[in-house]
Amino acid sequence: MSGDEINPAAVAQAVEDVQGDDRWMSQIWRELFSPLHALNFGIGGDTTCNVLWRLQNGELDNIRPKVRFNWASTGPEREKSTAQGNSFVPVMHFIQIRTPNQYLIGPLQVTVVWVGTNNHEHSAEQVAGGILAIAQLLTSRLPKTKVVVLGLLARGDGPNPLREKNAAVNGFLRSWLPRLGQAQFLDVGAGFVHSDGTISTRDMFDFLHLTAAGYRAIAKPLSDLLLQILDETPEEKRASLV
Amino acid sequence: MHHIANASLTDKVMSSGDSNPAATPTPCVDIQGDGRWMSLHNHFVSNSKDKEPDVLFVGDSLVQLLHQFEVWRELFSPLHALNFGVGGDETQHVLWRLSNGELAHISPKVVVLWVGTHNHGHTAEQICGGIMAIVQLIKDKLPKAYTLVLGVLPRGKMPNPLRERNAQVNKLVKDAVSSLPHASLLNVDPGFVHSDGSISHQDLYDFLHLTPQGYQAVCQPLHAHLKGLLEKQAEN
Repeated sequence: MSGDEINPAAVAQAVEDVQGDDRWMSQIWRELFSPLHALNFGIGGDTTCNVLWRLQNGELDNIRPKVRFNWASTGPEREKSTAQGNSFVPVMHFIQIRTPNQYLIGPLQVTVVWVGTNNHEHSAEQVAGGILAIAQLLTSRLPKTKVVVLGLLARGDGPNPLREKNAAVNGFLRSWLPRLGQAQFLDVGAGFVHSDGTISTRDMFDFLHLTAAGYRAIAKPLSDLLLQILDETPEEKRASLV
Repeated sequence: MHHIANASLTDKVMSSGDSNPAATPTPCVDIQGDGRWMSLHNHFVSNSKDKEPDVLFVGDSLVQLLHQFEVWRELFSPLHALNFGVGGDETQHVLWRLSNGELAHISPKVVVLWVGTHNHGHTAEQICGGIMAIVQLIKDKLPKAYTLVLGVLPRGKMPNPLRERNAQVNKLVKDAVSSLPHASLLNVDPGFVHSDGSISHQDLYDFLHLTPQGYQAVCQPLHAHLKGLLEKQAEN
């Protein structure tokens, strides 16, 4: 993208309350004052612009060096991350069971970014640029934190233009993200599109959002990567149980 | 969340005094580019061909998401329930879906209808009209079925016009079904609004959609009520 053009997908924009109950701003409000509970900053429907706006307007300000233990259904699982993005993330949050007294003190080590599928007004290149802007913001604001960007999933019942667009976004991200040092790309979409080109409602109940089974499928490669990143962390940064 | 962006064809048109856009069957126009609304509708129609549900849940995201939580398996699968919820649907969209095949292959004893909160731009009277049009349609297509309309929940973190609108919808629908032997309104709000007027994200994580805890609070009494209805239907 030429340096003279402004990428609209990288312009921070708050969601305008057109429905009339002010829900978007309320959610941010809760997150600003509850950083200890803020593991998941996903908001349904958000575009890259909305995520950028949120990160620039307080969501990173109060991140204290907190790390939380989450007990997943298979046993204790160490997770030192927040997840930011669109509507996929709040549902994933509920698969984990929190035990309130399991807090560790330590640096925030990983941020997972998952956004872009809702950017309907933007081209694939613009969307990738918006995601890159988010990754750049995170690495500059939180220099010790690694950023993992998840690839956009295929969507829709059968082949359609949005699948091609999302694949193109992923293609841009694969080549651009490694230049950011602290950021990397992870494709978790393998296996959702069957040989006949269809997506099953067993994986995406509305051909867009993941079912529990769908989340389980993506959780494996993601948790493998997170564990790998955390294992690479030098000893002095590791938290000790208080 | 879970909102399929919709463009209702009749939203802008209120030319004749009698037409109610919330009660005019309207499919969703695909403005995103992957045709998911129609795919889901077709999926529901074909999916119903080999099923014999006793209970059909139909409505918007609150119905659709219910299917994704453990509470569905726990409470409603044992009742042989089918779920035709679509995120973002307004009354006129549900009306279109039910008019175009979703009721063609099944004979549930009870239809649970939960819709109305996404009818943006419509008045409470129009939304009530839309809900009642669905109730009438179900009566026409399934003469022996009972329709249980669930009250629309409050929304938003603090008091706001949509809460008032939803409360008014519930009041109007309750009056409208009071004379009908085949339908009733059930208030499923266990008291989500606290004394200071706030709603907790522990119940409605985005102040609109239910958490697992929120669903439990709504579904336990709903389940009990449904069982009572099914027993009555079996006696008749």
